[in-house]
Amino acid sequence: MTVNSLKLAALTAAATLAIAAPAAAEWKPERPIEFVAAAGPGGGTDTFARVVQSALSKGNLLSDPIIVSNKAGGSGAETFIYAKTSGGDPYKLFFGTQDAYVLPLANKLSYSLNDLEPVAAMTFDPFILWVNPKSSGIEDVKGFIAKAKEAPGTIKVGGAKAKEADETLTTLIEKSAGIDLSYIPYKSGSEAAVQVAGGHIQANVNNPSESVEQWKAGVQKPLCVFEETRLTDTTIIADGQSWNSIPTCQEAGIAVKSFAQPRTIWAAKGIPADALAYYTELFKKVAQTEEFKGYMTRGAQIPRTLTGAEFKAFIDQHKVAYSGYYKDNGWLKTAD
Amino acid sequence: MSNFGLLLDGFAVALTTHHILIMVAGVLLGLVVGVLPGLGAPNGVSLLLPLTFTMDPVSAIILLTSMYWGALFGGSTTSILFNIPGEPSSVATTFDGYPMARQGQAVRALTLAFSSAGIGALTGVIVITLLSGWVANFALRFGAAEYFAVYFMAFASFIGMSSGSPFKTLVSMMLGFACSAIGADTISGESRLTFEFDALIGGISFLVAVIGLFGLGELIMTMEENLEFHGVKAKLSLREIFKTVAEVPRYWATVLRSALIGCWMGITPGGPTAASFMSYAIGRRFAKNGNRFGKGEPEGIVAPETADHSAGSCALLPMLALGIPGSATAAVMMGGLMIWGLAPGPMLFTTRPDFVWGLIASMYLGNIIAVILVLATVPMFAYILRAPFRIVGPMITVVCMIGAYTVASHTFDIWLALLFGVAGYVFKKLDYPLAPFVLAMVLGDKAEDAFRQAMLTSNGSASIFWSNGLVGTMMALGIILLFLPLISKLLSKAGIGFRRKALPPQSEVGSV
Amino acid sequence: MEISRRTSEIATSVITALLGAIVCYGALENGITWDDSGPRPGYFPFYVGCLIILGSAVIGGQALLRPAESKPPFLDAERARSVVLFFLPIVAFAAISAWLGLYIGMAIYIFYAMYVPGKLKLATSIAAALAVAVINFVVFEKLFMVPLLKGPVLNYFGIY
Repeated sequence: MTVNSLKLAALTAAATLAIAAPAAAEWKPERPIEFVAAAGPGGGTDTFARVVQSALSKGNLLSDPIIVSNKAGGSGAETFIYAKTSGGDPYKLFFGTQDAYVLPLANKLSYSLNDLEPVAAMTFDPFILWVNPKSSGIEDVKGFIAKAKEAPGTIKVGGAKAKEADETLTTLIEKSAGIDLSYIPYKSGSEAAVQVAGGHIQANVNNPSESVEQWKAGVQKPLCVFEETRLTDTTIIADGQSWNSIPTCQEAGIAVKSFAQPRTIWAAKGIPADALAYYTELFKKVAQTEEFKGYMTRGAQIPRTLTGAEFKAFIDQHKVAYSGYYKDNGWLKTAD
Repeated sequence: MSNFGLLLDGFAVALTTHHILIMVAGVLLGLVVGVLPGLGAPNGVSLLLPLTFTMDPVSAIILLTSMYWGALFGGSTTSILFNIPGEPSSVATTFDGYPMARQGQAVRALTLAFSSAGIGALTGVIVITLLSGWVANFALRFGAAEYFAVYFMAFASFIGMSSGSPFKTLVSMMLGFACSAIGADTISGESRLTFEFDALIGGISFLVAVIGLFGLGELIMTMEENLEFHGVKAKLSLREIFKTVAEVPRYWATVLRSALIGCWMGITPGGPTAASFMSYAIGRRFAKNGNRFGKGEPEGIVAPETADHSAGSCALLPMLALGIPGSATAAVMMGGLMIWGLAPGPMLFTTRPDFVWGLIASMYLGNIIAVILVLATVPMFAYILRAPFRIVGPMITVVCMIGAYTVASHTFDIWLALLFGVAGYVFKKLDYPLAPFVLAMVLGDKAEDAFRQAMLTSNGSASIFWSNGLVGTMMALGIILLFLPLISKLLSKAGIGFRRKALPPQSEVGSV
Repeated sequence: MEISRRTSEIATSVITALLGAIVCYGALENGITWDDSGPRPGYFPFYVGCLIILGSAVIGGQALLRPAESKPPFLDAERARSVVLFFLPIVAFAAISAWLGLYIGMAIYIFYAMYVPGKLKLATSIAAALAVAVINFVVFEKLFMVPLLKGPVLNYFGIY
């Protein structure tokens, strides 16, 4: 009985679709959509995907249910391999960072950027250099550089994962300031932040949201932000300081320009053009919701949303930049 | 003391009809996801999270944590009835819980598990209440070397206690290490042992291995022996349940020891899984009937369950105070906190005391509600066992296969579970202990990461493991635990009665 | 057909030793040395592999040297038969699931298990098979929104 009625429903749906399809070019989702996050539960990308989910449901932008799943294996490569095997399925969207196009640079993976269809970069997370002021005795960038020159290799800088954004940034700091640091990879950025707070390592590079509570508690202090201009938020957070009070690294003496991390959404290659257009419009709307704005403010993010050709151009340029960094560090995969 | 006052305020927040109803709903849902091996607490949390977007944060966290307690209890149910642990931390419960259920004492086994779990959880919450400030700061003292020392202690207590062929223990444990190494390496970012198979890039999921080794392996074993489940012979009466609850105080020494181990492992980053294994291993040595562990001994259920739940409760504190999630579930909850606009961290206690203490108060109430509800379900579960095995067996098989698939939505995992099923069957028949394999698989890569991070911190000098009192003491304790059987043998030879009984050579941990 | 315990011990130790060798080989790709900042990624896996080989060698050796068979056989003909009869359908279940999806796989498997070894009536078996598939469908797809493998047949009927 159940099977029969299901069949019937399916046939009716198919019939309606066949009639409706030529008339209305506009694509609309008709069943649950899966959001695949390229990070474990609680990770930055996972939170990003869930915030988008919450913005969609609170703003009544989408009536179909959304399923958030995590495929964090291989530093998130699992998600993009899954995208490759999804064959243009318009009911799957993939959430990540620059990892989508950076991971294949260093690792032998079975997917490439050509298997993905860029949808949007929703916002950008800036990076900040943090220290533990009490245990390291470092108060500013000058002190940081002086200390590193005094005893090369003794400043331990923590970050999430190996050969990804955090370690790349650490090598950029080393090069531009002419110092020698030792990088220690942890499973996540918040784990590294806690290690700094506990005084086990001296510094870390991080997105603002991962260390803001430690800053309030006085166990971490921001030295500089890796942007060309200061962050705009002037709300006082701790010690009479706001995000805006943090100098840019360039003005403080580390000549690393912008190193922001995009929060990106992808579809599988071959997704119907009208479905892609639908999602592009949808996520533009999401970026304007109070929910998403709140997320950007909490994370002291740079509210900049890219879609379409603009996003593609950004990807090309960002990928070239990363290839350059990886080449200098000798991380590019050998065989190709 | 101020904590007590704050807790009373917390109760005022938690003790409303609205919140009690939320707790009941959460616990019931948790029981369902906990009992279904394909689903776990993280699924429940992911499912509820969208609902909480519009709730106020206190109600939301009460709903999620209650779900979490329910799932923890539900996980023990399948461990005992079908030898399928729903969560890594309930693996140790299968060692004695399942044999006891097979002997027709399912009701007693479940009741023992639930009541000792309840006691463990409450102990954990009390520790949080009394020591919250101290615990948060204490957890900050854990660097990579200290993490390694905690894992080392867990391994040492287990190796030191295991018996049977030492070479089979060795092979089993090393295979576990090898499985945990598959996938991307944290420290170098390289893929290890994947041989360029896409399916292996994310590593082998622990749950898939356990579903195969314990669930399917046990099914094949039962089939071969043509055994029936001897479900419940005793009358299914409330009296049976009450009688068992009244039996628990008799094991006060085990309860106390296990609760202490659990709290310690929960506050330190060891976590519930390590706690339950360690408590089981130590219980095996020090309990009155330790040599009967593995054959359906009550204390073999009490020890891991108490430790598991006290560690689970204590582990929530570092999450709130430091933002280090102790488990996948805690991680999803943390994500929830951020979406509700709260940031876990040292300031949460001062900025939102109503939230923190409301949560702690709800942990008392939620656990009490969970114990009552779960005890009420005992007769229902025991009833399942009355069906003949030729009917129940295939049903369990289906559950195992779905479980293997849902872990990561990989078809490959179904095959992997079958492979582990065969391995589990052969290993059991040949007396290879499975517990060392499981322990190594859960903690192996964490221990390795911690070791290598410590090495990077110290520029390659092993002296970091003796660099301060805390890590030095833990390493020393670990070494003592490792050599305890040897030491006690030597002492008793020298005529000093350190501790009775040498373990009988053939009693295997986990070979049930 | 009977498999002695000795044979099975030796066979198992050969298999585990092979696994150990694979682990060692895989670890070689990651570098197995200990440099000045601690062990390289392959260091631990390599020695883990070595220990597996060592342990397997001892177990295999012990079994080889053990003179007479004192323990009961690993598996006799009758038991082997019941194991195979139980296990082969599960393999078929996995194969069908991988091809046509879990719901169809479980329905066929449950029908077989209830009807042939379970000795239930034909109608009861069919009802059980449908019930299992539908209940799981409702629980996973509708209540918990955990999508299981569906395969081409269900997709054809518009169920994704």
